[in-house]
Amino acid sequence: MLRVSASRCYTLAMNKNTKEVVEKTIIVEHLTKNFEITEKKAGLLGSLQSLFTPSKKTVRALKSITFSIAQGELVGFIGPNGAGKTTTLKILSGLLYPTAGFTQVLGYDPWVRHPEFLKQIALVMGQKNQLWWDLPAIDTFELNSAIYEIPSKKYKETLDELTTILEVKKILNTQVRRLSLGQRMRLELVAALLHQPKVLFLDEPTIGLDVVGQQKVRDFIFEYNKKYSATIMLTSHNMDDLIDLAKRVIVIDKGQILFDGYLKELVAQFAKEKIIKVYLSKEADVKRFDDIGRVKRFSYPQAIIAVPREASAVAAAELLQNFPVADLTIEEEPVEDIIRRVFKGEVVKKNK
Amino acid sequence: MNKYLQVFKISFQQEFAYRLNFIMWRVRNVLQIFVVFFLWDTVFSFREGELFGYDRDRILTYVFGLIFIKAFVLSARAQDVAGEIARGDIINYLLKPVSYFKYWLTRDISSKALNLIFAVFEFGILYLILKPPFYFQTNPFQILLSVVAICIAIYTFYLILFIVNVIPFWAPEMGWGGHFLVTVILVEFLSGSLFPLDILPANLQNILSFTPFPYLIFFPLQVYLGKITGLLLLKGIVVSLVWIVILWFFMKWVWNKGFKAYQAYGR
Repeated sequence: MLRVSASRCYTLAMNKNTKEVVEKTIIVEHLTKNFEITEKKAGLLGSLQSLFTPSKKTVRALKSITFSIAQGELVGFIGPNGAGKTTTLKILSGLLYPTAGFTQVLGYDPWVRHPEFLKQIALVMGQKNQLWWDLPAIDTFELNSAIYEIPSKKYKETLDELTTILEVKKILNTQVRRLSLGQRMRLELVAALLHQPKVLFLDEPTIGLDVVGQQKVRDFIFEYNKKYSATIMLTSHNMDDLIDLAKRVIVIDKGQILFDGYLKELVAQFAKEKIIKVYLSKEADVKRFDDIGRVKRFSYPQAIIAVPREASAVAAAELLQNFPVADLTIEEEPVEDIIRRVFKGEVVKKNK
Repeated sequence: MNKYLQVFKISFQQEFAYRLNFIMWRVRNVLQIFVVFFLWDTVFSFREGELFGYDRDRILTYVFGLIFIKAFVLSARAQDVAGEIARGDIINYLLKPVSYFKYWLTRDISSKALNLIFAVFEFGILYLILKPPFYFQTNPFQILLSVVAICIAIYTFYLILFIVNVIPFWAPEMGWGGHFLVTVILVEFLSGSLFPLDILPANLQNILSFTPFPYLIFFPLQVYLGKITGLLLLKGIVVSLVWIVILWFFMKWVWNKGFKAYQAYGR
């Protein structure tokens, strides 16, 4: 009697535990990934040498990173090249085996690659394509519909919807190799989303697209996130992508998380300068601007000067006193500039 | 199952994507048959009787059968697996609820089905032109078993090829090396596709009969020609089935290990 109730208690506790874990769509705890790399010297001799005495080197791609993402969140994942962004996405989608740490997506361990898990996720890489090069895109779509076991009615609906939003209806029956990069990228998105994944990993989705194409893809990602309350992780070097789409950003560099929070906070914390825009009423000695701050641009009558944040009031006062100023505004540093500095790997203070 | 039917379909379409290539490949096949036919026809026109225990009809059938089975068993799409792993294209399939092993098996079968359709067609025409004195097997049991042996051969070769082709999981640049070693040296030489294996010394033949290689080409052909029957036939089927089991488990093991070591390079 006693034993039964004890085991029941245990089951209850287990259930509660699992539920708590599932509430967050993506959970990453102390995730570490090391790569073994064989180093090779240049040239033929170097190749031969490495064949017989390979010198191995361990690269620590991820050093115990921890974060979690709730359902329906759209998170920007930013950092310079080689920071570990793509590695993280590959681990979360079950392609890479983590060296250490805990990962869970939709309640599944990604590495197991459970079919039910795979049916609910998608990884889109701007530089990888899944469309069959020699065939029209519609053939790939039909293949995917069979692989993901999408009911044919739902398949038709989703296909119709996606191709309408992304404006690719007319090119469905054209051989993929005859299409432009922008057209292909949009078709890649259709192929990746036919099964309506709940979790979407996007790695540089707008890379190589022109401005119009970028905007289309961006609008679409925004819509998709809203409509299906899909959880989306997005890496991008395109600042507009992040500013338009992501409220929350995770900054990663050299395999470590440097910042995790709202984009606004990142800006507030990282904006070390303010931008003063001055309109002069008549010509003045431009060199004297250098005493006040860093001149970013000058073309008469407008001057743009960057000054340290805390000195902005003093600088403005000085400008008003010493120059023939017609108009003067003090602005925050543009988000682009800040993110650009983050991409360059400039150190950010840890948030928490 | 529907999944793999769709894979079959799309592979089939893919084969036709480069029409000129396809036609040239078929023309090459036909020319090859012509050459081989006239070679052996000439050899036997200078001498009577048997050569290596084969008379004219049987050697011609052997050689024709060789081309036929080779085109069927040894022509395989799965040799692209190494490239897919090295380039990282494999990622597309690892992300989907589909078995990569079965995916390539389906593509192989699809390619072979296409091959078969055209081979039968070409064969028919060539037969009418050349009117070769073929040896036709009349024992239905023997015919049935040669078909079984061919199926075993196809699967065995696929397993070998798949195992060799996952080497790039560890070393992306080594893909072609293993492929060359296994398919060109081992398979071509030991499967009987260069010469009938029964011209080798008996003890060597005996050793070979416990490896998977003779069962790829030589064995199915001999079964068709009626040169292997009864207990020997049974032994062959059993040995080749045992090899399938061994290779399958080995493939599983190599795949799991390789995938774990995989670094999903670049990008």
